[in-house]
Amino acid sequence: MSTNSTEKKWDRRSADTAERLEAASRYIGPGKQFKPEDTVALLEAVIRAGDRVNIEGNNQKQADFLAECLNKVDKSRIHDLHMVQSAVPLPVHLDLFENGIAKKLDFAFGGPQAGRVAKFISEGKLELGAIHTYLELFGRYFLDLTPKVSLICAYKADRQGNLYTGFNTEDTPTIVEATKFRQGIVIAQVNEIVDTLPRVDIPADWIDGVVQSPKPFFIEPLFTRDPALVTESQILLAMLCLKGIYAEYEVKRINHGIGFLTSAIELLLPTYGEELGLKGKACTHMILNPHPTMIPAIESGWVDTIHCFGGELGMEKYVAARPDVFFTGPDGTLRSNRAYAQTAGHYALDMFIGGTLQIDKYGNSSTATASRVAGFGGAPNMGCDAKGRRHVTDSWLKVGKEMPTLDRQIGNMPRGKRLVVQGVETFGEGRAPVFVEELDAWKLAENAKLDLPPVMIYGDDLTHVVTEEGIAYLNRCADIEARMAAIRAVAGYTEIGLKANPDETRQLREAGIVKTPEDLGVDRSRANRSLLAARNIRDLVSWSGGLYNPPARFRNW
Amino acid sequence: MPKWNDLQEQSFLESDARARAVGLVDEGTYTELAGPFDRFYSPHLEVLGEAVEFDDGIVTAVGKIGKTPVFVISQEGRFIGGSVGEVGGAKMVNTIRLAIEFHDKLVADYPNISDEEKPVVVISFETGGVRLHESNAGLLAHAEVMDQLQKARHKVPVITLIGSKVGCFGGMGFVAAATDAIVMSEFGRLGLTGPEVIEQEMGKEEFDSSDRALVFRTTGGRHKYIMGDCNVLVQNMIGAFRDAVAKLAVLPVSEFEKMRRIGSPEAVERQLRAVALAAEMQPQDARDVWAKAGNPDPVALTDIPLDEFLADVKRLSV
Repeated sequence: MSTNSTEKKWDRRSADTAERLEAASRYIGPGKQFKPEDTVALLEAVIRAGDRVNIEGNNQKQADFLAECLNKVDKSRIHDLHMVQSAVPLPVHLDLFENGIAKKLDFAFGGPQAGRVAKFISEGKLELGAIHTYLELFGRYFLDLTPKVSLICAYKADRQGNLYTGFNTEDTPTIVEATKFRQGIVIAQVNEIVDTLPRVDIPADWIDGVVQSPKPFFIEPLFTRDPALVTESQILLAMLCLKGIYAEYEVKRINHGIGFLTSAIELLLPTYGEELGLKGKACTHMILNPHPTMIPAIESGWVDTIHCFGGELGMEKYVAARPDVFFTGPDGTLRSNRAYAQTAGHYALDMFIGGTLQIDKYGNSSTATASRVAGFGGAPNMGCDAKGRRHVTDSWLKVGKEMPTLDRQIGNMPRGKRLVVQGVETFGEGRAPVFVEELDAWKLAENAKLDLPPVMIYGDDLTHVVTEEGIAYLNRCADIEARMAAIRAVAGYTEIGLKANPDETRQLREAGIVKTPEDLGVDRSRANRSLLAARNIRDLVSWSGGLYNPPARFRNW
Repeated sequence: MPKWNDLQEQSFLESDARARAVGLVDEGTYTELAGPFDRFYSPHLEVLGEAVEFDDGIVTAVGKIGKTPVFVISQEGRFIGGSVGEVGGAKMVNTIRLAIEFHDKLVADYPNISDEEKPVVVISFETGGVRLHESNAGLLAHAEVMDQLQKARHKVPVITLIGSKVGCFGGMGFVAAATDAIVMSEFGRLGLTGPEVIEQEMGKEEFDSSDRALVFRTTGGRHKYIMGDCNVLVQNMIGAFRDAVAKLAVLPVSEFEKMRRIGSPEAVERQLRAVALAAEMQPQDARDVWAKAGNPDPVALTDIPLDEFLADVKRLSV
């Protein structure tokens, strides 16, 4: 065994970490605690220029205090950081780029900062790595984008530095695991430090520093849709989905996006869904945050299982009181996990249904435009046909059987396909047409010097489009020409829709590739709010037996 | 025209002005006065190039509940926030005037007429007050409505209903307070200066208008019921409002005097005592007042079901 000085070193990373922690040690006391007023100094000790840094923040739970402190470090020492994080929803996340502390960004979701991200890119203040899906970014944490330092948040720490992330566990385990097990540094902000935790979600020896933030971390009720705002048009779309897709394919395992269409579907399950005889045949297993609009369906016995990406403000007590449905810990509270929910979403789901801002004539869709880089979050993982899937379900097989082209690719081998459904009104926000010749994502790609336009869901993954005109069953189309014709047929009075040829549409209807509400036997006149199981937030509270505690801004009583 | 039977179970909060008006009177008795086909609409909006409505955003009608003739005024919040302009104001004023004249004629022709056969006026408010496009005309309309309320006094009871999205604010808050009885649902809101205006003028620390829970426990039906500003609190259904009107309509007119907020030295004395109490206790939140009224768990009052609330709640007496 050689011991000379030319020996290769294999512990440079841990040696580097030890050196940084040594510099930080004068701020860190028992239980890894440090004082809020020492936070900036501590960050200056553990972060170096050019580091890859993660700030925990998804679309809900935010390590906001640590993010603010990172903005105050000496930028002559700490600069050119490469931020790798799920989301950049807070102004402070982008202030890092304005202040010259950070340079490059890899992320999944932009949320309210979407406009500013686009502006920074075009001004050259921000170098964009890629817009990832959550799972893709998490995957890269374990390969080529591992953070050196991660700034995370939790509800509580105990005196030893163990963390309780509870209801909103979300991204925390993934970030900590990737960072700590590659000899990185993990700093946590918590709302309070207590003697005994309800349960330990992250063990103390994976954590290097804990600070009680001056105020509790910011959390956004992102998945609360007020039933009072559901429109009759959305109710019609929801009826079409239930009759033409949920009933047709008897889809049991589903992810619902956060839009009003899926809220409308959730609120129609105990009424129209029950009338269609779907109870027990559809929506039994769901991957979604604890949407308050799911309460009536859960209470009516529709749902067997719900696994959650994250929590939702106000749903804590309700979820804790329904442990047969949700994943709750021995302490009785929910433990969400974004990575696991995304994995289930990618491999175990039979259907993804959501909306989008734009769909092109081929069926490609995106929420990213030239002036808004909103990102996609998890939609592309759930809104695609996972090639690695090997287990069958009836609905998955049925969609596969309906595809006329499978034999041209894999001969006589049977294969299923995930249902990927986009439900949109032909004109969306601000009366902008949803169906367009070319996605704005092309312009964004040009602005941001990206090699490919950021597409949320590719046309070949899309199986169904639902609009107020009807449903296009794209999986039943033999080629791209037929798919384009089917999309035109349901695109209404948009430029794309006006190119539809009535004869062609009639043939598509006869072939069952396009179905109007009349073809499906959906009575348009019944599409009104009296069909909703709950018509306002107050009704949801009543359905929950008083367990749902809506945030103040949703209370109109 | 919506079906009467369907309307009874329908959410008052979500109903438009006409559905409310039709559902409030007995089936088959509804006759609209100055309806959309008469095309009375605001000339001011037209001059400004704004969209008009052929009923100017207000429904006026006459019908019956039992033996009581009911003159109905129903404001539409979806048309310029239910704001009151010249034409809409005139429709309000003349509907009340018609009720008074009808009353006088009935009493002259039939001196022995019973209380339940005498007319009432019902106003379903959904308004932010004066329509800014026609401010002076709108303000005049407010004054004229007040004038009619005075003329109706001791003759024709005027009953206020509040349970629509916009609530009842601005000058119309004064008008509602000057009527004989107020019926609200827990989704109704009554006040003078709207929450957004208070925040804009006095700052978010004074009043956070995005905190809907705060807004409702300061202006909403439950709070107004505890404070005595609302006489009857009902479920959010057109039928429930109708039942409340039916119960009130048969009362002798003298009974309405006891329900009024203003109009007698005793009522003014009571209001002054409430002001003195506020100055003395300096409440930081509506809940402080609810506790003062004798409610041991004021926080729970917001969320308990309405029937429990009505059974248990202690109302402020000054």
